[in-house]
Amino acid sequence: MLHPLREAQLSLQTRRTFLSSVGQFSLGAIALHAMQADAFGASSASDNPLAPRKPHFKAKAKRVIYLHMSGGPPNLDIFDHKPELVKRNAQDCPDSFLKGRTFAFTSGVPKLMGSPRTFKQYGQGGLWMSDAVPNFQKIADDVTLVKAMHTDQFNHAPAELLLFTGHARQGRPSMGSWATYGLGTENQDLPGFVTMISNGVQPSGGQGCWGSGFIPSVFQGVQCRSKGDPVLFANDPPGMTRDLRRATLDALKDLNQRQQDELGHAETVTRIAQYELAFRMQTSVPEVMDISKEKPATLEAYGAKPGESSFANNCLLARRLVEKGVRFVHLFDWGWDFHGTNPKEDIRGGLTAKMAATDKPVAALINDLKERGLLEDTLIVWGGEFGRTPFREGRTAKGDVLGRDHYPDCFTIMMAGGGVKGGFQFGETDEMGFAGVKDKVHVHDLQATILHLLGFDHERLTYRFQGRDYRLTDVHGHVVRDIIA
Amino acid sequence: MPPKATLFLGVFVGALCAAEPINYSRQIRPILSENCIACHGPDEKGRKGKLRLDDEQDAKRDRKGDFVILPGKPEQSELIKRLESKDPEEVMPPPKQHKTIPAAQVALLKEWIKQGAPWGRHWSYEPVVRPSVPQNGETNPVDAFLAERQKKEGLTWSAEAPQAILIRRIALDITGLPPTPEETAKLAAAQHEDIVAYFLAKPAYGEHWARQWLDLARYADSAGYPSDPGRIIWAYRDWVIKALNKNEPFDQFVIDQMAGDLLPAPTEDQIIATAFHRNTMTQNEGGTSDEEFRVAAVIDRVNTTYAVFMGTTMACAQCHTHKYDPITNAEYFQSFAFLNQSADSDKKDEVPLYEIYPPGVKAQREQWMKDSAAAEATFKKPEPAWTAGFDEWLAKGPKLTDKPLKAALDAPKDKRTKAQTKLLSDYYVRNVSPAAKAERVRADDLKKKIAAAAPVTVPVMQDLPAAQRRKTFIQLRGNWQALGDEVTEGVPTHLARWDDSFPKNRLGLARWIVSRDNPLTARVTMNRLWETVFGVGIVRTSEEFGSQGDLPLHPELLDWLADEFVASGWDTKKMLSLLLNSRAYRQSSASNAKLNEVDPDNRFVARGPRFRPSGELLRDQALAVSGLLSAKMYGAPVRPMRPNLGLSIAFGGTGDWMTSSGEDRHRRSVYTETRRSTPYPSFVTFDAPNRETCVIRRGRSNTPLQAFVTLNDPVFVETSQALARRLLKEGGATDDSRLRLAYALCLSREPDANELRTLKTLLSKSVAQYRADNALALQMATEPLGPTDKGADVPTLAAWTAVSSVIMNLDEFLMRR
Repeated sequence: MLHPLREAQLSLQTRRTFLSSVGQFSLGAIALHAMQADAFGASSASDNPLAPRKPHFKAKAKRVIYLHMSGGPPNLDIFDHKPELVKRNAQDCPDSFLKGRTFAFTSGVPKLMGSPRTFKQYGQGGLWMSDAVPNFQKIADDVTLVKAMHTDQFNHAPAELLLFTGHARQGRPSMGSWATYGLGTENQDLPGFVTMISNGVQPSGGQGCWGSGFIPSVFQGVQCRSKGDPVLFANDPPGMTRDLRRATLDALKDLNQRQQDELGHAETVTRIAQYELAFRMQTSVPEVMDISKEKPATLEAYGAKPGESSFANNCLLARRLVEKGVRFVHLFDWGWDFHGTNPKEDIRGGLTAKMAATDKPVAALINDLKERGLLEDTLIVWGGEFGRTPFREGRTAKGDVLGRDHYPDCFTIMMAGGGVKGGFQFGETDEMGFAGVKDKVHVHDLQATILHLLGFDHERLTYRFQGRDYRLTDVHGHVVRDIIA
Repeated sequence: MPPKATLFLGVFVGALCAAEPINYSRQIRPILSENCIACHGPDEKGRKGKLRLDDEQDAKRDRKGDFVILPGKPEQSELIKRLESKDPEEVMPPPKQHKTIPAAQVALLKEWIKQGAPWGRHWSYEPVVRPSVPQNGETNPVDAFLAERQKKEGLTWSAEAPQAILIRRIALDITGLPPTPEETAKLAAAQHEDIVAYFLAKPAYGEHWARQWLDLARYADSAGYPSDPGRIIWAYRDWVIKALNKNEPFDQFVIDQMAGDLLPAPTEDQIIATAFHRNTMTQNEGGTSDEEFRVAAVIDRVNTTYAVFMGTTMACAQCHTHKYDPITNAEYFQSFAFLNQSADSDKKDEVPLYEIYPPGVKAQREQWMKDSAAAEATFKKPEPAWTAGFDEWLAKGPKLTDKPLKAALDAPKDKRTKAQTKLLSDYYVRNVSPAAKAERVRADDLKKKIAAAAPVTVPVMQDLPAAQRRKTFIQLRGNWQALGDEVTEGVPTHLARWDDSFPKNRLGLARWIVSRDNPLTARVTMNRLWETVFGVGIVRTSEEFGSQGDLPLHPELLDWLADEFVASGWDTKKMLSLLLNSRAYRQSSASNAKLNEVDPDNRFVARGPRFRPSGELLRDQALAVSGLLSAKMYGAPVRPMRPNLGLSIAFGGTGDWMTSSGEDRHRRSVYTETRRSTPYPSFVTFDAPNRETCVIRRGRSNTPLQAFVTLNDPVFVETSQALARRLLKEGGATDDSRLRLAYALCLSREPDANELRTLKTLLSKSVAQYRADNALALQMATEPLGPTDKGADVPTLAAWTAVSSVIMNLDEFLMRR
């Protein structure tokens, strides 16, 4: 797909050149039509890379809220019920599962560990869930569980980068960047791609998880915070009033306009526009980030508290942001690395406590979106970068705390809204959770599916860099059609 | 076809004219490369239909009476038949690839076959042949080539820019700092060449140009990966600055960094230079394999080496034979073998390290260490007099915190072991005994001196001894644990010949890179220089000179520059002067409707270059005009103001830092500590990379977040406050004179009447507002810069701060025009 900004970058060319050149690249006829109609329609927003654009085909989802649990939630204690593993608890892990493999913190022969949690089936689809997620249980009819997810990476940073950029090392555009690159955004007074972090630590994959890599940086995620400046440097300095800020920008506009008259450069026009947008964002961003005027019942449902920095607050903010037209909201929550090195990482009490601060706001978010009629075209994804081992982690095996090591072969992702089925579970792992046996979904497949729901053929949403057409799914990826409603 | 469309395609389709012979490298190969080579190219595993369209022999061979390309006979060539076929099973490229070749290109292919299908290689792999300079009256060869091209495009030169504007342009391009008003005045009547020479002689040149090189070298003051601990490697950054200022010939600059340690009798500088390849990341996360990440570092070194010096993407060939360029999977690992012999192995302490001492200090310190060891030994065998008072001391029950000591002391006298008694008596002699005091003072003093003279360290490249050399194997599908055949050191000889006199080590690799036969190094380097000066490279994809990159817009000019560069003895400053003294460079940057239409990126250079500089330069410029900039050069990285985000790094410490004190807050940006996990936020907003891997070309975005930085970032608020104070102090008594000084400082020109009016209107509005609210005025004038001079008129200062901020946010200030 040929992106208007990419065109602008290649040679800030005129509309006529653009149209003639599109013809020379082989865009699908439908997409071409859509792009022409949209990028050069009445809005004439062709020089704004964030102007809303139509995708390749009709989309099921218009926006995405991705809830990432940094560290890898223990799938075997939440969704993937394995009675056989419980039966064989504390037995030596069979050699066949260990041969030729490396684990992050386990060597030798570890002991199998059945989940100490209680599992039951919920909702019309009979979705398996444990007692760790009392609130997920209540939304079972709204979600799809993708249960045979797998990845190639068993350390956090590369696994997160693979999941969010399609490649295990830094430097590629992130999922949210691709989405805004393809679709633009619907509210020009807010960033199109917003990320927020809870529990005080940024994900292992670092800012690359929401970076724009080699595509233009206007598509990178803008980190917003529920405390302090909502966007870096968005607040006027102490002593600057709104009134005076307006006056300074008027003077600036006046002087810049004269520069433009003298030199005739398009970039000056853009700069004037960006200062004006910045001014509008100074009002719109704090407004959208202020949850204090939400109804007490809403705050209560999420467990959100104004002025705090928490995952619950971020979930509520995510709803406020998508409601205002933000295209992609990416939340990162720290503290899911259940190794068992301390009680917080115990799959019993530790997981209960962590989930208490998680499953309630997630369920509230889904319910809230549903009530507002936004769920049907807002895709929600909840999950980690990999799963955790069916055996006890080697390092902590002698202690009292029960933990599991990193495991790339099996994990579960929960999806809701945005054209995904409700009350559905897809894929199976073997009787002990060592390998996917049916309907496996690789992270590249998940990416292809998310792009598909947004209306894109993942093989055609590309960007030419260093002589190669890059895409989110690298050279892989199949759309998982079975989970689409 | 209009020029903009050819530009756009990056393919020189050119007019179809039978009389004009078609150039394979420039006209045909790009079409094949774009559409066919991925499946019909060098990659054996991905190859379809047993056909190579990158190989003349294979493309033209007899296939049982059929020919893919039959020279002279397009109608009998399968290539054309397939391109024109309507049958979805037959047509090429296959429909599922969503590629169609435009009719004009098919016509071109037909005409080329008709002309006999003459072959050639990708342009950048052809040797550099010095083209003759067009004789068109231009004295600078750069202008002569450009004028030829402009003539073809129906364009012509713009007028020369005013002298003051040129002075600012030259100062910013060479030193990254604006000229002072004194310099602008002093140089007002100077010859252009002398202005260039004047700024080239300033040490600020090295500081400015180092920034670009440090992007290529992926230099950072941290080790990367999740925990991202600090790394001491700034001696390398200082080396780059010094080497640039010395104008070290570029070939030597390459050799020193690639293999300075392998030169006969290397100097200290040559050893420090090898830190170039120690800027790879080190993985400290628990449970990770040192070998895996050592291999990752070597892979980064291979990719960086080829990307930086030769504009060649090697990464593809790491997993499979390159689909577009003649680099095989085996050749990748032959290059890997050169870099696989260094002693470093992803260790936390970053060994091997080189220790740097100021002159004379090393020998002195070694002496102190010997003396210190001797002194400490005497305490263990004390003179009898020194133990006097030991029993009394013991009886007093001294407070001891050290565990073994305390245990010894607490033991009843008769149960105390001999060793315990010795421990206590040694402690007494070393810390308490009045008789040993003089000796003790001397020993402590030595320790202090030793600590104070501790060396600065820098990780360096060092090859393993012969007995420990590693074997190199092809890594299958890029998996470091799946090993294929063993390979030895070698280079992709398709790119350049290997001279057997080169040693088979990093030094040989470096010599190959800068050898006369290497067609890429000089071209890539000159293209980068062009890009830096004119905004866009002659090859737009300065990071990719392979067949997937863009073609050069001025191929003869690029080759002339490359040849001249080598002929000059790889003299970078000389080549920079050549560009800066050209007529092309001296033009006014004003554009017009025609130029915006025909050549919006100014690639034909029919006007002067104008673009937004780096975030680092913008900060330096603001510091300079406000008078805050520290002139201090070199040394440990510094921490200017930066917002605290309250976030930690995964498995690491806090991402926040304590701001440096004193002038270190206001050093040039090149000295700012570079943390890979938390790069300096305002630089990132202006497209700075995080230095995890080498970045050849930065983007140049224009976003509202940038407006937030230059309006509200405390760093920029502080410079507005400082500029305001400076204007009131140095700018005379009237508003007009103060605004004149502001314009002279920031824009190197006089404001006109309209500009004065606009700014004075803002000033009076601001003064009125701040007179009415003193507390507000105090904030505006002092946070974060600090208290004003006693008796200062705070509301006036606050108002001038607002005005200064406007001037420092002008498009003209943020752009280098």
